[in-house]
Amino acid sequence: MSVAASTTWRMLSARLPAKQLPSGLDSAWDAAGGYARRLFVRPGKFLARAKKVLALRKRFEDLSDARLREEATEFRSRFRRGRETPSDVEASYALVREVAWRQMGERPFLVQVAGALAMDHGCIAEMATGEGKTLTATMPATIAGWRGRGCHVITVNDYLAKRDAEWMGKVYHFCGLRSAYIGQEMDPSARRDAYQADVTYCTNKEVTADYLRDRLSLGRLRSLPEALLEKIVDGAGRGTDRLVQRGLNCAIVDEADSVLIDEAVTPLIISGEAPNPEQVRSFAQAAELAGRLTENTHFRANHRYREIDLTDAGKRRIAELAETLGGVWSAPRRREELIVQALTARWFYLREKQYVIQDGKVVIVDEFTGRLMPDREWRDGLHQAVEAKEGLEVNPPKDTCARISFQRFFRAYRKLAGMTGTANEARREFWQIYHLPVVVIPTNRPCARDKGRDRVFASAEAKFLAVVDETRRLHEQGRAVLIGTRSVRASEKLSSLLSDERLEHQVLNAVRHAEEARIVAEAGQPGKITVATNMAGRGTNIRLGRGVAEVGGLCVIATERHEAGRIDRQLFGRCARQGQPGRALAMVSLEDELLQRHAPHVSAALRRRFGNSDREVSSPLTRRIFNLAQRRAERLALRQRKSVLRSDDWLDEYLGFAGSER
Amino acid sequence: MPVDRPTFSESWYRVAQLRPRLRSTIQVHRQHFRGQLWQVLQDPSSNQFFRLNESAYHFVAMLDGVRTIEQAWHACAEQLGDDAPTQGEAIQLLGQLYTSNLLQGELPPDAEGLLRRFRKRRSREIKGYLGNLLFIRIPLYDPDRFLNRWVSVLGWVFSRPGAILWALVVCSGIYVVLGNFDALLKQGGGILSPSNWPLLYVSLVLVKVFHEFGHAFACKRLGRVNGSGGEVHTMGVMLLIFTPLPYVDASSAWAFRSKWQRAIVGAAGMYVELAIAAIAAIVWAHTISGTTVHAIAYNIMFIASISSLLFNGNPLLRYDAYYILSDLAEIPNLAQRSRSYLYYLVKRYAWSVRNPHNPAHSGGERVWFVFYGIASTIYRALIFAVILMFLANRLPKPLAILAVGIGIVGAFTWLCVPLVKFVHYLAGSTELARVRGRAVVTVLAFVAILVMCLGIISMPDRHTVDGVTDPVGMSVVYARVDGFVVGYQPSDRPVSPEGDPLVRCVNPELTARIERLRAEKRKLLAQSRLALSEHEVAVKQVRAVQLADLEEKIRRAEADRDSLVVRAPKAGRWVAPGIDRISNRYVRRGDVLGYVAEAEKMIIRAPAGQRIAAMLIAEARQEVDVRLWGLPDSQFRGTIRTIQPVAQVDLPSAALGFSAGGPVQTAGDDPKGATAEKGFFEIIVTPQDNPGVKLRARQRVIVRFTLPSRPLAAQWWRSLRLLFRQRFGV
Repeated sequence: MSVAASTTWRMLSARLPAKQLPSGLDSAWDAAGGYARRLFVRPGKFLARAKKVLALRKRFEDLSDARLREEATEFRSRFRRGRETPSDVEASYALVREVAWRQMGERPFLVQVAGALAMDHGCIAEMATGEGKTLTATMPATIAGWRGRGCHVITVNDYLAKRDAEWMGKVYHFCGLRSAYIGQEMDPSARRDAYQADVTYCTNKEVTADYLRDRLSLGRLRSLPEALLEKIVDGAGRGTDRLVQRGLNCAIVDEADSVLIDEAVTPLIISGEAPNPEQVRSFAQAAELAGRLTENTHFRANHRYREIDLTDAGKRRIAELAETLGGVWSAPRRREELIVQALTARWFYLREKQYVIQDGKVVIVDEFTGRLMPDREWRDGLHQAVEAKEGLEVNPPKDTCARISFQRFFRAYRKLAGMTGTANEARREFWQIYHLPVVVIPTNRPCARDKGRDRVFASAEAKFLAVVDETRRLHEQGRAVLIGTRSVRASEKLSSLLSDERLEHQVLNAVRHAEEARIVAEAGQPGKITVATNMAGRGTNIRLGRGVAEVGGLCVIATERHEAGRIDRQLFGRCARQGQPGRALAMVSLEDELLQRHAPHVSAALRRRFGNSDREVSSPLTRRIFNLAQRRAERLALRQRKSVLRSDDWLDEYLGFAGSER
Repeated sequence: MPVDRPTFSESWYRVAQLRPRLRSTIQVHRQHFRGQLWQVLQDPSSNQFFRLNESAYHFVAMLDGVRTIEQAWHACAEQLGDDAPTQGEAIQLLGQLYTSNLLQGELPPDAEGLLRRFRKRRSREIKGYLGNLLFIRIPLYDPDRFLNRWVSVLGWVFSRPGAILWALVVCSGIYVVLGNFDALLKQGGGILSPSNWPLLYVSLVLVKVFHEFGHAFACKRLGRVNGSGGEVHTMGVMLLIFTPLPYVDASSAWAFRSKWQRAIVGAAGMYVELAIAAIAAIVWAHTISGTTVHAIAYNIMFIASISSLLFNGNPLLRYDAYYILSDLAEIPNLAQRSRSYLYYLVKRYAWSVRNPHNPAHSGGERVWFVFYGIASTIYRALIFAVILMFLANRLPKPLAILAVGIGIVGAFTWLCVPLVKFVHYLAGSTELARVRGRAVVTVLAFVAILVMCLGIISMPDRHTVDGVTDPVGMSVVYARVDGFVVGYQPSDRPVSPEGDPLVRCVNPELTARIERLRAEKRKLLAQSRLALSEHEVAVKQVRAVQLADLEEKIRRAEADRDSLVVRAPKAGRWVAPGIDRISNRYVRRGDVLGYVAEAEKMIIRAPAGQRIAAMLIAEARQEVDVRLWGLPDSQFRGTIRTIQPVAQVDLPSAALGFSAGGPVQTAGDDPKGATAEKGFFEIIVTPQDNPGVKLRARQRVIVRFTLPSRPLAAQWWRSLRLLFRQRFGV
């Protein structure tokens, strides 16, 4: 007789809710619902409940460990049966608080409990960085674990998953739960074991990839009856026996904005090799032919949209050149496509900017973070075109086996909650796409951050000089300075300027997480100057060195505003944590990319107005333009992400015969 | 990627390994459209059609349930080169086939998806109904068995002998109509009068039943002849402007290979109707006026010919002629595609959108699209407005609110919804991502020009009123004495008192009497000369009296004799229409001989309804333009003399009344038709001297008043408000 885990059956028998994005008037109604929700789901409510939880401290404080364990078991069975009352939830929070104190010596603060309650309520809790989000997550995770359907705690990297799972494991263990984590190198059986745990720490990439692999091994089995039949007919060892997950029930997402918004449309792809020598040859030929075309006579390069347009003369020239090649080159559309790709690779994809070459392979550099992305590839043959251009060995495009965007994946969870330092700016998106209200939890201690007003300069050159001046001034005061840049190039430029001024500094870009975290952690030492891309070392606490707090703490200088206000705030959030002093300001110029892309006309007019003067042109008007451009960028990005989701939905409906991807 | 049709699609993996095939019940028909080969897929169970071009069909036909989609796609790419569908196109194609329920996968069909699609289609249909309130269809009955039974009996109508017979019937009908044209016209006025409505409606339903069965039988018969079935499964009631009428769904005729056969099915309704009209004409001509049969025959004739040709025969409306036209022109979905072609033109040339989708497959189609797109849009708006006005005017007051409702719904579906969609498109379409600025600016510029034209630039505001000319002074010329007419002036000549006499009469008796009186006078004179000697004073006195008396008589008789020559009482124009009839006849004293009219002093009386009069009183310019009725070139100027301050009902001439073909509705109880039903204000206009135009008395003219110029929008708004005030008192 074949046996299968009951969780598998449960996963198959329960259909995932078919959530499609509303459209037209429905979406307006839905958005209005979001506003209304925001009026009712106030942080005050959670703070009030959290106070009740804190008041229950006495009830558990005097119990012995064994007694406390018994209480936990009692709660567990109550939650398992779904018989809990709100007061049970409060009591259990108080219990977990006590356990955390006994096991780790930390007792969650009021705001942490409030954040945990908000997440239990299915919200995104905005909690300032450094408020102990890891500990906060244990409370709702424990309760979800007690409910018995598993809980995924999503972290941003493997290192954090492992650290948190081990760190908090004691708390879970005390409460009668098993916690585990998913590491990159784990084999399927270990993964299955980890997913069977009550609380599983994992990264968004791993959990999504496992989900896709499960789908692949399920093949065409879409429902419980089909899977049962298959089981009866084919016996063990196939289909359902190879599943590692047990359904998407509950997830608590750390750094929710980065996972659910910034990476929302990034697709996760499971691919297989598909050798195709003819195609590989054609990429090399395209690269060779592209070199024989001249700009403006044969094609035009549009730098704003990064596009190549072939002229008629160019098309004729290509036809001439390709005449003897045969194969794919005989059809005009296909050969022009190949040439355009080769030209795009040649003109818009630059070595050291968009990619680097490591061990004879093209490795993509993320343009926003400056990080290397070794497991990513450009799509539609572009990667091959770049390889051909560099004269490397061209790897055939991989065959996609399964693919899902994080946005779609996380929408499939039955219960989703998240926490992050910066969510309020994206509350519309959280509501419209995930139906998650955002709750802003106040900080434990009053924030002592001195947020300076933006300083605006006419030219980028003037801006960088002013940044160096400001840095020197602060350095001489003995303060620590962290300068955030948007691109690797900007950080290099700044580094050379600082070197010219003989200011000792650290530059941080495109290196590994652990080292990154170490460098960032040291950024708080007196007189230390650190130049870093924004994402570097996210989540790492910067501790102030001796005496730094007395002279004003860490000063963060942003050299550009970002496409989203959230990301600005993340950078500023690096200083003045937990009530420490700190200062943050942005120094921006009218030549910044944000303005160039999202307010091109206004910024051009202003540049004309101020000429190429090196002076500062800060005024309410110029500052306003940056806010305006940023809002436009945010709106555009939301619209794009929604349209990706919509087109996915459309595809799902139209390709019903291929089976739903949900 | 700036490539028109990228070869690869990132979603390809989802379909690559599948082995779907067309459902086995799908029938495929080869058809040529404008020289291009297309394959039409027909789903017999739902009677839905799907058109595929050659390369797409090549790909779909290769899917046999054994090959994978990937294999079929590669094979296609090898055989067809650039024409082969790209991966994206293949996915789109498969998706469309699947959602049209034409594709069968190896997976068991996703029941939930099927139901969702069904619900979606249902709600789309309902939305379609609501959006198209004026043309609702309710299917009721499947007539296929009935048709099968009877097609062998009745189908011959659509055969060659049938056509010959039809031609004979129609010819004789036309012959009869031409023979009785006057009577036909005379009866024509009453056809739309409310009392005729029930009969009109009954006739309409009757005719339309035959019409629809014409389609059905033609479809059935030709389907049998060419072997493609020609099934007709739906029959029901269509609410055309809330008027229930029958309809039949004969769309299976689209599967016929010959476009002429399809056209025959499309035209079958009108074919039958015209024959009915001819028969009705014959019946009408041979029945006595006043009988019910006569009246029904007349109504049927009217509907089956005029209304049929006006609506069904008009390709600008989506009735039979439209489908015939789009079929014969080999442009399916003509209306819809011509609209999207117009959008395409805007996108391409006004906004420079990159690679907009072009719905035209050939140059010929483009011309069709441009012409049809513009003409049908204008016509649709026009017909909607006309129907609305008709309803608003003819419906009884409580029901007239319906017209307002329809107007609001129509404005909503045809104006607001597209407008909102358009704004949405303008603001959020990815297609416009790069040219949004330009698109918004062009649209705003267009709107600005429109606003300027309608809302700012003043346009002349003119109103016309029908009137009649009336001479200011008109003298009646009577015969003053009895006599025989011996000479006269022909009518319509300028005359004056000094000129030639109008009529010359003789009266022998009068002449004789004068002679006699003169003789008597002579006798009396002679007698008085004799009596001088007698010296009798008394006698003398008597004679003097007698003489005076006699002289008086003579003078009178002589005056009478002078009156035999009738002169014009004043200068003017001699108007004596019947003068030639009294030549040599005896006229009695007091008989009217004719008139002398002061030609240059004509006035125009124009009865203006209260609506127009109010505006004229308030602000009309004194100067008006006048034209003779029926002579559009005969324009001359005039000035308003007065606008009678009191409303009246007596028309200045019966010619202006309804019964005489004039614009004013006359009271029903007035046999002369010279009393208006509603009061009007008479406007009196003095025409200015105009050598070019000769005005005659009692002539019908059109008077055009000019109000101060104002923007068109303001003019329309005022008209609308007036209409509402009139109809609903708001």
